Amino acid sequence: MRLLSIACALALGTAASAAPAATPAPAAAAVPGSEAIASKTLANGLKIIVWPDHDIPNANYYTFYKVGSRNERAGITGLAHFFEHMMFNGTTRRAPGEFDRTMEAAGGSNNASTSNDLTIYTDWFPSSALEAIFDLEGDRMANLSFDPKVVESERGVVYSERRSSVDNDSMGTLMEQMQATAYVAHPYQIPTIGWPSDIERWKTEDLKQFFKTYYAPNNAVLVVAGDVEPAQVFALADRYLAALPRQPEPTPVTTVEPEQLGERRITVERGDAQSPILAYAFHSGIGAGSKDYPALELLTTILAQGQSSRLHQRLVEREQVAVDAGAFAEAGFDPGLLWVYAMLPPGGDLAKAEALLDEELAKIARDGVTAAELDKARNLKLSAFWRGMATINGKARALGTAEVFEGDYRKAFDEPAAFEAVTAAQVQALAARILRRQNRTTGLLQPVAAPAANKEGV
Amino acid sequence: MSGLRFVFAALAAFAFGSATAAADIKLPDYQAVRLDNGATLLLTPRKDVPMVAATVLVRGGALADPAGKEGTAGLLAEMLSKGAGSRDALAFAQAVDGAGGNLDFGSSSEALTANAQFLSKDTGLMLSLLADALLRPAMAPAEFDKLRKRAIDGIASAKDSDPRRLIGLYASGWLFRGHPYGRPAGGDETSLATVTLDDLQAFRRQQMGGDRLIISIAGDFDPAAVTAQVRQAFGGWAKAEGALPQVAAKARESGRRVLLVDKPGATQTYFSLGNVGSQRSDPARAAQDLVQTAFGGRFTSMLNTELRVKSGLTYGASAQLPRPRHPGAAQITSFTKTDSTKAAIDLAIATLDRLHKDGLDAATLQSARNYIAGQFAPSMETAPQLASAIAWLALYGDGRDYIDGYLGQVAAATPAQVAEARAVFPASGDLVIVAIGDAAKIRTVMQGYGPVTEMKLTDPRFSP
Repeated sequence: MRLLSIACALALGTAASAAPAATPAPAAAAVPGSEAIASKTLANGLKIIVWPDHDIPNANYYTFYKVGSRNERAGITGLAHFFEHMMFNGTTRRAPGEFDRTMEAAGGSNNASTSNDLTIYTDWFPSSALEAIFDLEGDRMANLSFDPKVVESERGVVYSERRSSVDNDSMGTLMEQMQATAYVAHPYQIPTIGWPSDIERWKTEDLKQFFKTYYAPNNAVLVVAGDVEPAQVFALADRYLAALPRQPEPTPVTTVEPEQLGERRITVERGDAQSPILAYAFHSGIGAGSKDYPALELLTTILAQGQSSRLHQRLVEREQVAVDAGAFAEAGFDPGLLWVYAMLPPGGDLAKAEALLDEELAKIARDGVTAAELDKARNLKLSAFWRGMATINGKARALGTAEVFEGDYRKAFDEPAAFEAVTAAQVQALAARILRRQNRTTGLLQPVAAPAANKEGV
Repeated sequence: MSGLRFVFAALAAFAFGSATAAADIKLPDYQAVRLDNGATLLLTPRKDVPMVAATVLVRGGALADPAGKEGTAGLLAEMLSKGAGSRDALAFAQAVDGAGGNLDFGSSSEALTANAQFLSKDTGLMLSLLADALLRPAMAPAEFDKLRKRAIDGIASAKDSDPRRLIGLYASGWLFRGHPYGRPAGGDETSLATVTLDDLQAFRRQQMGGDRLIISIAGDFDPAAVTAQVRQAFGGWAKAEGALPQVAAKARESGRRVLLVDKPGATQTYFSLGNVGSQRSDPARAAQDLVQTAFGGRFTSMLNTELRVKSGLTYGASAQLPRPRHPGAAQITSFTKTDSTKAAIDLAIATLDRLHKDGLDAATLQSARNYIAGQFAPSMETAPQLASAIAWLALYGDGRDYIDGYLGQVAAATPAQVAEARAVFPASGDLVIVAIGDAAKIRTVMQGYGPVTEMKLTDPRFSP
């Protein structure tokens, strides 16, 4: 069984995998059909990208808003995510619930997700429903309304989500506490789901302000992939989206996290848990558009992907101190965290696990990686790239994340070459720079004998 | 950390997977080759991305686990890649990872499974790794000891995680109490502790062999070369020595019984309400899927509308209708904060009553038809999806019409047939109920639904 919290972090953090801006002109991967991609920017600033692909009679409609929990502050933590829920709950033209009823009756489904950096809305539908989708999406971008009764009811929904993914999940709880500790200045310290007291108190006024500021066409990217033609999409965009007014640019997030000056250690005690967890969160200093991003991805791949990976072999197979061990890096607009973790068996020895993990991390910084490991990591990345290109969903995500994080959807195709260009020395240098004790937050989840009072709202 | 609007559909993916087929969506042409030893090879060449996918099934699976040794097939499946042919466990893992491939062994109730995907240029490597694992596993005692301990410890770790991932194990154990479908396919902490390497060897002799083998390959590959390699690598595999496990269908239950799984300190209660439902070959499949979609299979379903959209009691409420060979569970699942446990379960039951009393109106029925049709194609988009779908058709003995004809049946299901198909979900008087939560706080509430049996989440089993 996988951890939901980690799965989400992977899906939304590292799915933003994108190539560096400054590698020496690598050849872009030749993806069949990519020559048909077209893009256009409306006068109101909305960037639209279309990838026509007629393999299946379906299409998707992705809206990437450049807003996430990074744009929040004390008192309104969780608002970006709550807002994501409210985008389905009524406009001046449509009653709460009508958006979903109309879409599903047309054969479509939808979902949305919020991360530190982005709020992403997705519709998946038969291509025959394309105009109905534009009508629904244009309406909620222009005419969202907030029914006070629905706001109250939706608070309960979000709190229920929090209880499952954070409060009743050991890893979810530990990661939230560590993230809040690792950042002392930057708003990446804020949990995307929101602190409980804020979930209970944010106001309709907060929502209205948030909508006006961030849900503007010039703060969004629209990607449509599938059984459509660009001309058809652009014509519908002119009809349903062109009248949306441009808004002033949102206040940029300018806070830079100061350098960490020494290890921070936290302990989370849980009375209902059996299994200890050890986790590290290192400041990587790297965001999605950084030239070092491909090396960072190869570093975490060598550490943790597959049963032959270093952490699995050492902690799980050879020493058997952990049931599972892993590593992954976040990459958003601002420098993120490189996470390393070990899930211990009941009664497991946290000190021993920490000593072994330290040894493995010191070793990769001291001795570097082998040519075989580097090849392996590149092959794993190449396979992942092609798996993404096998679906219209993967295609839309790849184009959208490259566009929002690097300003150019074409960079999605630079990825395999960017990984090819990374050298073993670069991976080692990065490991030495990041994997230092002074640069990390250490989190320990310790089961305790008596059930702790898991009081809500505290 | 991130928040998602809605995740229950993903957690219930298997239930959705059966709701398939679009009017003009059909499987691509594929070729079936029968080997002399009885193995079936299915070839679905398809140029898209430069990758190849395989699903391999060996009939038998967890239903053949000896009594009290649940998890035998699952451990064996994992052991197959812990060293095979000339490679030890590390070398095997390096061969898979080094090529950028993935190769996962597991066990479902009806078959041992392997799912693989490699770059096309490594098609030969993928097949030779599969052949080594299936025919020449090392079965090293040291690897077995590690694997079994990790499987046991992994269950304890899972019990500290999101209970949405656990409720299904307890629900099937309680509904199918004393029936083979109630035995956990992955075993539990008690049964895994009794499994030995000898048990795995015996299972391998009895339940694995060329006559049980289905290999389904899809993607960008050379069919002639693959056929030759498969004949060479698998054609000599002898038959399994034992008989396939036989299962009798379980009848639907009358009345109610409740299992309360205590998780002290839990802030939320996770519950399921179910009974025996539908099977793979059910002639009413399409009509039942229309009911399941409208009742609990999508965001605007009756259940999610009542428990989430209108009341804010939960993040998600759904109904599932998995279809194993014999009837499986028809069940409702949701979760809510501890002090609204009664309100949420009462509302789920009232919604079930409304399904039976009022049925689906014409607009809802049409919406459900459109929804199933509109969501079908992406489930058959990739080579791994096709390899898997075609392999399972072969395992169940279904022709391609099981998929190709499905949407036609969805379109043709009459209102009367759909009304009749509501009976796949039980009447609210006949519910087998499970709740995971803080027993001290919800015990009295749960006693209101029927006789309660209690256990702890930390008990080393998934059933009392």
